Amino acid sequence: MKSTYSIYSSIFLIALLILSCDKVIDNAGVVSYIPVSVDAKAGTWKPYLLTSVNDITVSEPKSSTDPVYLKEIDSLKNYIAPRVSPENLQAVAYWGAGAVYRWNEIARELAARYNLPPASNAEGKYPVPDAANPLADPKFPFANPPYTARALAYLSVAQYDALITAWNYKFKFNRLSPYKNDPSVKPLLSATDLPSYPSEAAVVAGASYTVLIAMFPGEIPYLDSKLAECKNASVWAAMNVPSDITAGDALGKAVAAKVMARAKTDGMSAANNQALTAGLIEAAKGRGIINTWLSQETPARPPMLPNYGAVATWNFDKATLVAIRPPIPFVVETPEFNKDINELKDIQKNQTREQARIANYWADGAGSYTPPAHWHRIAADAGVKAKYSEVRMARMLALVGTAEMDAGIACWETKYYYYTPRPQQFGLKTSVGLPNFPSYTSGHSTFSSAGASVLGYIFPDQASTFTAYAQEASNSRVYGLIHYRVDCEMGLVHGKKIGEYAIQRGKNDGSGL
Amino acid sequence: MKNFSLFILLTSCIFRTVQALAQAPNDAIYMKSGTLCILGAYGQSSWREYWENELKRENLNIGTNTTTSYMMMVAVGLSSKLNLIAGLPYIQTHNSAGNLLGQKGFQDFSVTLKYKIYHHNGVSLSASLGASVPVSNYVPDFLPMSIGMHSLSATGRIIFNYQHKTGLYLTLHGGYTGRSDITVDRDAYQAYDHVYNTRTVAIPNTTDGAIQIGYLKHGIQATVFIEKFDCLGGDNIRRNDMPFPTNDMNGTDIGGYLKYQPSHFGVNFRYAYVTQGHNIGQATSFSAGILYQFGFKAMHQAETENK
Repeated sequence: MKSTYSIYSSIFLIALLILSCDKVIDNAGVVSYIPVSVDAKAGTWKPYLLTSVNDITVSEPKSSTDPVYLKEIDSLKNYIAPRVSPENLQAVAYWGAGAVYRWNEIARELAARYNLPPASNAEGKYPVPDAANPLADPKFPFANPPYTARALAYLSVAQYDALITAWNYKFKFNRLSPYKNDPSVKPLLSATDLPSYPSEAAVVAGASYTVLIAMFPGEIPYLDSKLAECKNASVWAAMNVPSDITAGDALGKAVAAKVMARAKTDGMSAANNQALTAGLIEAAKGRGIINTWLSQETPARPPMLPNYGAVATWNFDKATLVAIRPPIPFVVETPEFNKDINELKDIQKNQTREQARIANYWADGAGSYTPPAHWHRIAADAGVKAKYSEVRMARMLALVGTAEMDAGIACWETKYYYYTPRPQQFGLKTSVGLPNFPSYTSGHSTFSSAGASVLGYIFPDQASTFTAYAQEASNSRVYGLIHYRVDCEMGLVHGKKIGEYAIQRGKNDGSGL
Repeated sequence: MKNFSLFILLTSCIFRTVQALAQAPNDAIYMKSGTLCILGAYGQSSWREYWENELKRENLNIGTNTTTSYMMMVAVGLSSKLNLIAGLPYIQTHNSAGNLLGQKGFQDFSVTLKYKIYHHNGVSLSASLGASVPVSNYVPDFLPMSIGMHSLSATGRIIFNYQHKTGLYLTLHGGYTGRSDITVDRDAYQAYDHVYNTRTVAIPNTTDGAIQIGYLKHGIQATVFIEKFDCLGGDNIRRNDMPFPTNDMNGTDIGGYLKYQPSHFGVNFRYAYVTQGHNIGQATSFSAGILYQFGFKAMHQAETENK
């Protein structure tokens, strides 16, 4: 019986171990760091939408000897610092990772929260999300990959244009940080030589808030709280006095308002024009696509954003969009098509666990932050690793973000130009879920190749890693059984070209990076 | 080999699909010392409607979701008071509509030790401790197609039983299952309205309990039961989204169990129907099994009562 009891007691110990395990997943992630450079010349970098960094006026701050400023310093030391709570310290640590980094992360979270297709109603129709009633069912927006690519592009462009403006004023006015003006002020984050007026964290907060309340109008209370927390954290940390924050917040909001003016007229409001689909199908048939795409959902769902291809691009013009469009894919029943469909049939029969893993890893489907946001995450994490300043981080994310949106536009234009059928129209299943729009080319491949090429330019030593990511993301759609090989290969080629235009912009933006 | 239960279901707390068969971690019936029983069983569990959070709905892109299981089990009488029960199911999933690829594979190996603490005048109190471990590298978060949650689990259970000499009996049991964190293929997922940038997913622990009333004598067992299980915490399926392992799945089902074992060979049948639930499918389940007992004697409990 002794051995029985030892089995019994070891099971009991395993049980205790499992019963006592912690159910809280640590999600804090990145910690504060000192940037490799303050990027003092960023005020000379080229803006996306502002005509110059002087478009928005920031008034001159009080001097370091002015009684009003001295009172702010005194308040920082003697009123605010003694009252910093443990919750405040948590906020300081969280925002210490960087305002650009955190607002990008917040936007990704909102994308995930809103990335669900509307359910069909009793009449068998799919109600269209209503921006005026964002929390009704279906919620507005449906933050699908094109929507999210666009939201993140505007977010990153607003952050970038606002930050280069802020850098211009920072070095123009050259107000020292509170802890440089008064050594008895003890900052809670690492001290830097960056002038503190206007506050870069508040600039990013104001700009991000303005873009995100427009993109996610149901989240205003949540975004209000994040805006307040981001601004307060800089004061709790003694990185800024309140006048730095006020000026930064106003600057960020003013720049973002100009950025959102472009968003309002970029063609997105007509992206879901379903009246165009009949004509698109006819045009595709005229190009030789015999079996056009059909929704595989029940009831049939109208295709996702059929006119997104007409939205304004960032880094190239519409003539270029047409010029770089991938050529016509294999037509059904040709030997090339049969080869591709047979590859999928084989995978369906014998999908390996590694193929399933790759398909799942890159799926970024409903309820996720989507593929373009995945590339923002890869970029932001690489920026933290490289200890990027706020403005350099914003530059990188604007390059990646505009490339991702351009990839979405160009890919969608291609999808609806050819209107090709999904493999599911020929009996295939999927292990990742089937997107509701035409097959050729693969969005994942296009987004990933564009993202990888931009990141390869920014981090040449990691270029092969990013290229491998893009290749794997591209393969994942074949392994998940929802794209033919040709969709993925041509998507990769297309995405690389799209990325090149962002790289050209980066090379000519005056950063010298 | 006695009452089949929702054991695997409870330890996995999967989207109410895995209707598996395990002897009696939750009954008061014991194998005699030195006897051994093996079982092979076929089970099927299907639902067409499910609870998406509070909303009961169908899904035309799922149709009817069916989980088929093939269960291998063994029960050993280590002593008249201590039994060991082990099982391993092979599971397959399938939708009648839509295009989600069915999954299949060996799920979790489970082992339970059950010990009779007290027994007097037909009243008994038992306790069982069990653990389960995934035996294949199946995908846990492709719900509702995944075959399990891929979690290590440990279950503690208390079983009260009263057996009348006429053969009528009443069993009450309650269990608590701890479930380890799981690892998913993706490196970010949404739960509780947040994005977690990690592959590790914490899934809720569970409780379950049941009332069984039945007849057990002369190799015949006939039982009706009501069972309830709950996840302790968890989030809800979002509007028009698929389930996720973090979901707060809970439900109540009613059913019946029949077993006939006149000699070494026996057969059993089980039927159950979910009457109420949350973040699960409204499943109807049945199973049928064949048992073979080495060193056949009437079951210990029945034997005792017959003395």
